Amino acid sequence: MPKIIIDGHTIECRSGIPVLQAALEAGLAVPHYCYHPGLSVVASCRLCLMEMKMPNPKTGQMDWAPKLFPSCQTPVRDGLEVRFRSDPVRENQQHVMEYYLLNHPLDCPVCDKAGECYLQDYTEANGPATSRMVEDKTKNPKKDIGPHTLLYQDRCVLCSRCVRFCDEIAGTGELAVVGRGSRCEIDVLPGQPLENPLQGNVVDLCPVGALLDKGFLFKQRVWLLRSARSVSPADSRGQTIWIDYNEAGIHRIRPRYNEKINEWWISDEARFGWKHVHRPDRLRQPRIRQGVALQPARWEELPGLLRAPFAGVAACASPAGPGGGARLAQPPSLLGRGQGEGQGIGPLAAVLSPMLTCEEAWLLAKLARSLAPQATLVLGHVPVSGHDQTYPNGFTIKAEKCPNRRGVETILQHLGGPTASFQEFLAQAVEGRFRAAYVTGGYPDAWVTDPVAAALARIPFLVVHDLFPSALDGAAAVQIPGAAWTEREGTFMNCDGLLQPFERALPPLEGVKADGQFFYELLGQPGLFRAQTVRETMAAELPQFSEVFIPRDLPKRAH
Amino acid sequence: MRDDDIIVLKEPELTPAERLYLPQILDGLKTTLRHMFDLQRRHAVVHQYPEQTREDTGELRTANYHGVHRLNKDPDGRVACVACFMCSTACPAHCIHIEAGESPWPDREKYPVQFDIDELRCIYCGLCEEACPVDAIELTPLYELVSCTREELILDKEKLLQIYEETKGIKPRRNPPVTDYGLTGTQGLDVAEPNMKRKV
Amino acid sequence: MTDPTIKRIETVLRKPAVIFGAGAAILLLVTALLALAFPLYKPLLSSQFSFSMIVLAVMLVLILSATALCILFERKIAGFTQDRYGPNRVGFWGLLQPVADGLKFLLKEDIIPRHVDKPLFLLAPALALAASLLGFAIIPWAGQVRWPWMPPDAPPLSTQVANLNVGFLYLLAVGSLSVYGVVLAGYASNNKYAFYGGMRAAAQMISYELPLGLGLLVVLLVSGTLQLDQIVQQQAATGVWNIFLHPIAFFLVLVSALAEANRAPFDLPEAEQELVGGYHTEYSAMKFAMFFLGEYAHMITSSALIVALFFGGWHFWGLPGPENVTWWAMLIKLAVYLTKVALFIALFMLVRWTLPRFRFDQLMRVAWQSLVPIGVALLAATAALTYLGWQRNVWASLAANLLLLAVLLRSAARSKRPVTARQEDLPEIDVRPTT
Repeated sequence: MPKIIIDGHTIECRSGIPVLQAALEAGLAVPHYCYHPGLSVVASCRLCLMEMKMPNPKTGQMDWAPKLFPSCQTPVRDGLEVRFRSDPVRENQQHVMEYYLLNHPLDCPVCDKAGECYLQDYTEANGPATSRMVEDKTKNPKKDIGPHTLLYQDRCVLCSRCVRFCDEIAGTGELAVVGRGSRCEIDVLPGQPLENPLQGNVVDLCPVGALLDKGFLFKQRVWLLRSARSVSPADSRGQTIWIDYNEAGIHRIRPRYNEKINEWWISDEARFGWKHVHRPDRLRQPRIRQGVALQPARWEELPGLLRAPFAGVAACASPAGPGGGARLAQPPSLLGRGQGEGQGIGPLAAVLSPMLTCEEAWLLAKLARSLAPQATLVLGHVPVSGHDQTYPNGFTIKAEKCPNRRGVETILQHLGGPTASFQEFLAQAVEGRFRAAYVTGGYPDAWVTDPVAAALARIPFLVVHDLFPSALDGAAAVQIPGAAWTEREGTFMNCDGLLQPFERALPPLEGVKADGQFFYELLGQPGLFRAQTVRETMAAELPQFSEVFIPRDLPKRAH
Repeated sequence: MRDDDIIVLKEPELTPAERLYLPQILDGLKTTLRHMFDLQRRHAVVHQYPEQTREDTGELRTANYHGVHRLNKDPDGRVACVACFMCSTACPAHCIHIEAGESPWPDREKYPVQFDIDELRCIYCGLCEEACPVDAIELTPLYELVSCTREELILDKEKLLQIYEETKGIKPRRNPPVTDYGLTGTQGLDVAEPNMKRKV
Repeated sequence: MTDPTIKRIETVLRKPAVIFGAGAAILLLVTALLALAFPLYKPLLSSQFSFSMIVLAVMLVLILSATALCILFERKIAGFTQDRYGPNRVGFWGLLQPVADGLKFLLKEDIIPRHVDKPLFLLAPALALAASLLGFAIIPWAGQVRWPWMPPDAPPLSTQVANLNVGFLYLLAVGSLSVYGVVLAGYASNNKYAFYGGMRAAAQMISYELPLGLGLLVVLLVSGTLQLDQIVQQQAATGVWNIFLHPIAFFLVLVSALAEANRAPFDLPEAEQELVGGYHTEYSAMKFAMFFLGEYAHMITSSALIVALFFGGWHFWGLPGPENVTWWAMLIKLAVYLTKVALFIALFMLVRWTLPRFRFDQLMRVAWQSLVPIGVALLAATAALTYLGWQRNVWASLAANLLLLAVLLRSAARSKRPVTARQEDLPEIDVRPTT
């Protein structure tokens, strides 16, 4: 742990980092554009220059060197003494800021970066109030450089963060700095637009409003947004994200620094994987099959309606065995009206989707087992697409496109008893082994394939808890609308067993109850569902759930 | 702060007569009575509104009266607003609702697709006018704001532009500050294809 | 305004000739009708009971219309004190404003919120108005009258509705009933603001009953009777109004009457800045109007009572006295009485538009720490005077009052410093330049 002296204060810092990083971690607001802790150092912006004490060759005494040094390129070493609060440093910052503003258009009112723009902040802090430039500013048209990204070249400060990101992190190298001097600009190669699966990060990286997200363009001003700490459900790696939202809904997703998983980046799947939350065809009220059609129902009716048939099924169920399927000789009777008949009622199954949080999966599993001790617990459909993709610096996009398979598996293993994989469950369902099943979905895309629908249609009392209408609507006896992950709180366990909690950003849609709250009420628990309380009760039985990992928030402007 | 910087003020005491309240009450009654019979002042202060308006007496300050809003037009007759949300951010009554979009004109970036002001919610403080970087939103001297329904008083963009047409005679638009808000790129070469031929 | 017919009607109504002409015509018509029907009701005038009934009917009509007019005058006075004109749109000088107000109250939607206690909610405004009107029964409007056709030795008729021998005890009892309407309204509305209003009203009325009762007791000791007509007759006979004997008692009664009527500066039960509308928050249309009328009716009752107790009722020096019981003397006395009442109402209104509202703790302190001790001291002094037989001696009474005032001033000077201070009385600040 080297100790350095910044502005007369002794600071203890990690070894091997640049002085700038040490200063930022100590909470100092040092202006900088090109430096980013996740990228290589180029020291091109000249804004983070500092004064440093060096031995005077004439006297041999330690003295302030007459020249300024880039703090991003100077590694810390023990006893180093630097200062940022001095006139030369301040003058340098002012001159550099004036230089940056020579050609920068004064269009903050229409620029989406306004409010989180480094240039704006530094100009307010250090920059000149007026420009001495009398010539016309260089004007550059905006460029469409990829499916998600626009480049406003005249706002660019040529920090080359985006170029380095494409070279070093994504490894695809689409972007390059072309031209020289005042004609220097960022560009893509002909016919090779910026479309790698991590490309959204260049928008976050850009310290000014040069690179903008087409989806967020002109939608909102950033100061009107609130942010919630969340975990992306896009893949099983559990990338941590900020959800930026306001009353009108979600507007964008930004990466949340996480030293264990995704560092400063997120994949495009995570970044753009929230559109389904606002799809207009989401289910909005519970419905119950009466006659042929599903009829709207009230939430208050549901616990009684569900518990009775499930309990009836359970009461008559023999221990699970291969012979169970033969009992389905009698015609299925819905809503448990035939429960008094005694025989012919098969076992109960609960399908725990890997989209559920650990707490919700726990509650649902407990519910199923409390109704029928021999209820079959099934890990729901695990969507997989392609192969894991690993990028040069180690960033990985998992092929498994659900957030919590590992968490559900952990719970199922702990609870024991009859369990099945989704494929086994489907096969048993086709045999007609189940009289009742509670199926949870929550996937952003359509997941019910024809074989799944056909198999589940064999279950007489099928409860479907999902976000969207699907092929199961025809088979479901009760349809319950689910809440998207942005509308719930809980924890996801990622593929490496790391447990990460996330906050609720939006309230559930009108008429929809958060899944956890509904399970809580089904279990007959009083009050409101709070993920942390449930997690604590889980931790009493399952020590894996006693500790969660919450990455620390970086200070503002720390990268 | 030294001790001798502190100035100790002796609280004034009420006289015993004042503490009986009665002299004070009589004093107050005297004031109200004086105003009651001051006909001259009453005639000077009060306007008999529908018959006698401030326009008639020349007392309406059209340049800075805080009446109904308007949305100014630029010299080309397009809405001058650049949809920067500054007015709705500054608005203490949250009565301005804006939806921004990409402008259909090549020389402008952003423009308001929707611009609604709830005139019933507005408190006519004029902060929107202060906040506007292009002097697009202004308060007009129109003060007769009536309607039969609440919905009618949620003025939309068309209505606000129409108010500009109606009032530009009595309150011309100020010269807006010269900025680059709408001016990016040359006209006609707005969005370039990747690596298209651009000026060298 | 755009409709020319309406505009024309409005212009016509605002001509003074039209209004006063119509008023005179109506007055003439009523007089003519009364003259024509004279033989019909002449026998009714001769017996005390039926005459009382007629007085009741006449005064009820008169007072109910007077309350409506009061509202106009209140708004006029408010306007004048604030350098405005007040209502002047409906009719000449706004004289038809009460009609417009009444029509508006009648036509407004009568809302009964779902969450209220319905029977009590409906009962409260009626109770508030009725309790205020009950007090009129014992006001001796115009002394006594003997009609020309009655034999000269027949006992003259009293122009009271009821000459109760318990006199103003009845008034006290009925006057405190009006708190019932307010408290019920506050309770039945099932609304916290209304409830606060009701609670405040209850506390306030109970507190101010005491100084009111003490002030009245002083008058009782002086006059030795509870009957209002006899109190008035005593003052008329000697020509010395009770105000000259006991100005402090008058002040006690005046302040308490303001508080009992929930008038400013004691209008805390309906303090709109704090309590929305206080006890009548949930009321609308005619039910709200009844509270409104009740308040003004209460003000008229209080004024009439104070006039009878302290200002000689219908007596005025140089005008017909108690021995003159002719019908024209009765009309003069009635006019004198009503004029005095009107002056008092004007005073009440002026006070409302002059003084700011008390804070609730101040209100309570005024009642319990000032008015009640003063009342007790005054009562003791008057009792002593009565024991000595000097209760109607002006100089003795005034001396007692002055003595009491001196004691009050003395104790006020000795009591703790007030926290209130006036800005202009602050001493000059000597600000040294800081170095």
